[in-house]
Amino acid sequence: MSFAARFLSRPVPLFGFVVFAAIVAIALAAPLLFAHGPMAIVGMPLRPPGPGLPAGSDVIGRDMAVGLAYGARISLLVGVASTCCAVGIGVLLGAVAGYYGGVVDDLLMQITEFFQIIPAFMLAMVLVAFLQPSLSSTVIGITLITWPQVARVVRGQFLSLRSREFVEAARVLGMSDARIIFTQVLPNALPPIVVISSMMVGNAILTESALSFLGLGDPDLLSWGTMIGSSRVAMWVAWWTTVLPGVCIMVTVLALNFIGDGLNDALNPRRGR
Amino acid sequence: MPLLAIKDLTIALPPGSDRPLAVEEVSLEVKPKEIVCIVGESGSGKSLTAHAVMGLLPGRVAATAGSILFDGADLLRETPEALRKRRGRDVAMIFQDPMAALNPVVMIGRQVTEQIRAHEHISEVAALKRAAELLAEMGLKDVPSLLQAYPHQLSGGQRQRVMIAMALSLGPRLLIADEPTTALDVTTQAQILKLIRRLQAEREMSVLFITHDFGVVADIADKVVVMRHGRVVESGATSGVLGEPAHSYTRALIAAVPKGDRYLPVPADSVPLVAVKNLTKRFRRGGLFSRAPHVTAVDAVSLTLRRGETLGIVGESGSGKSTLARCVIRLLDPDGGEVRLEDADIAHMKEKSLRPLRRRIQMVFQDPFSSLNPREIVADILIAGPKSFGEDVQEARARAAEMLRLVGLNPQTMHRFPHEFSGGQRQRIGLARALMLRPDVLIADEPVSALDVTVQAQVLKLLDEVRQQMNLAMLFITHDMRVAAEVCHRVMVMRQGRVVEEGPTRDIFTTPASDYTRALLAAIPGHGAL
Repeated sequence: MSFAARFLSRPVPLFGFVVFAAIVAIALAAPLLFAHGPMAIVGMPLRPPGPGLPAGSDVIGRDMAVGLAYGARISLLVGVASTCCAVGIGVLLGAVAGYYGGVVDDLLMQITEFFQIIPAFMLAMVLVAFLQPSLSSTVIGITLITWPQVARVVRGQFLSLRSREFVEAARVLGMSDARIIFTQVLPNALPPIVVISSMMVGNAILTESALSFLGLGDPDLLSWGTMIGSSRVAMWVAWWTTVLPGVCIMVTVLALNFIGDGLNDALNPRRGR
Repeated sequence: MPLLAIKDLTIALPPGSDRPLAVEEVSLEVKPKEIVCIVGESGSGKSLTAHAVMGLLPGRVAATAGSILFDGADLLRETPEALRKRRGRDVAMIFQDPMAALNPVVMIGRQVTEQIRAHEHISEVAALKRAAELLAEMGLKDVPSLLQAYPHQLSGGQRQRVMIAMALSLGPRLLIADEPTTALDVTTQAQILKLIRRLQAEREMSVLFITHDFGVVADIADKVVVMRHGRVVESGATSGVLGEPAHSYTRALIAAVPKGDRYLPVPADSVPLVAVKNLTKRFRRGGLFSRAPHVTAVDAVSLTLRRGETLGIVGESGSGKSTLARCVIRLLDPDGGEVRLEDADIAHMKEKSLRPLRRRIQMVFQDPFSSLNPREIVADILIAGPKSFGEDVQEARARAAEMLRLVGLNPQTMHRFPHEFSGGQRQRIGLARALMLRPDVLIADEPVSALDVTVQAQVLKLLDEVRQQMNLAMLFITHDMRVAAEVCHRVMVMRQGRVVEEGPTRDIFTTPASDYTRALLAAIPGHGAL
């Protein structure tokens, strides 16, 4: 059975994949689906969902449905971009620490621990506030608090893999360290990296939402977190203004977690064979 | 009446396995006060048969037909609770890996008393007294401090003795031993076999002993049952089966046990290709600032190796033989001494200047499963070496096919992944990889110790053919004296990092100079019987 077939043959990952694909499709197609942008005021504020306004309107009369679709763009962009950066840094540092061990490992792990013992969300908040709230500062903030977990996982993988005989064999064959790290060890360390990456996208979306809720999002862009944050005053009179973006976040994160679980099983060659 | 009678036992494997039945219509009997050995290679179903008696079949594996009568009662039809009560009291079991079977964070004394108190309502003090008596009966010394030790503080032999003490704590009538000495050094193995023999006689119990080693069979068994592919191919009294094996498979198994009855002559003297002088390697215990003393793993070892010659390095675990090999090939950096490859001393050479010389020394590894990258196809595994020396990929690919043919594999299989091959085939691939660079020196680190005995014989033969054909100098690391006798021109015996003695294989085996070598030779299972 191929990898894709293994992944999609089970209902839970398949469900996660379909849901996530649908969210991505809506996010990409937002300008085609709606005539006006997310910031446009279309009518009375706090109108409940009904004909013409499928998701109601928010506190200043913007179309919630448009906001949710455009919000998906920002949330997904932040999630994917910050995860890519964090995985890049984490893999590099974790691989070097785990492969070389000894003093290099001690040093790099001290740095990693330094980032881990700082309250993560506080660090992201302070950083974003310091850099001025914008899309890129949000990505930088989230990257900075998430790379240590990748580094730890990768280091652990490398520590156990480097003593395998095929790595010794590669050294005996005269391969350079960089070549061994990237062509011999890394492919074997990939499964857990892929799995935690899918979960990290979900976590990054949550962190972005929390930052935006606190008003630390990009003021020119509308994300799901911004929507919840700006609507919290109307929470008791207009439930849809906070519940709908909340459900979007929840469904996206859940779908990503399902995908992560599915990848974990599908990448494990001993399962389902 | 037999104590244990297995009749037509059939055990089914889960759907999708490589065969439908793990065990097919197996019948055997164990009479009171009898030691019965089930012998077979991996996949023969010997272990599953034994586990079925204990009601310990893994998850989706189940006995589908037949019966297991213990003292007249059918164990396959008993409730799980009734079976649980029998375990330890009627039937007890010991395993191959005592470290895995002992709880690493609980003291030995407590583990033994727990076992006793799970079945009997006696006080902790009484149980502890009983535990101490048991451990003493196992021939263990300094019992009081042993009771307060943790498993990792014990040697392999001590751990297995503790396991046996726990198994026997409730006085079972049948002891099932599943390869209990396979993970042990040869001298320890001999002691444990003697212990099991003694306990069996003193306690008048029966033993069902699982092994792959006909030497062990010769040492311990009253009766033998030979299994293959889940079926019994032959059974009978040990002397009969060993002396006049009726089945061709049994004959093949016995023939595959290295006999050590012919020795390769030492080749004519020539200029050494490799000369190791006073090589020393120390390991630091603990962390960077630890004050724990260094452990000297290799202590001023010297050796020479000529073209076309195999030098065997034998020793028990911890003797430093593998560390020595890894220093010679510079997977480890030696702390002192020199390793001369013709004119160049590579012992302390920087990696950059060493790299061009690396192709001259290649290695075959022990573990057929971890020595090949599971994510690469065989073709890529083979051309990795030539590629790293900048050779043409097309040319390397052609040579890969040639090398696969040389080691007895079909070159068309080179697009498969390692997991599609058997253990013996993987070792052949590992050898082909080493030969791709046309080395002068081949280091083989326990290349056959993970293989079944019939496969072992084939791989040893192949190594010897390749050595002759390519005029290689071979350093052959092994813990198995029988294997060393088979393939080596000269043998060096190591113990605790030092060389005990060194000489032509014939001399070491027929007129050993040291007591240690004599003890190693005497401990060879089936010594003299096969």
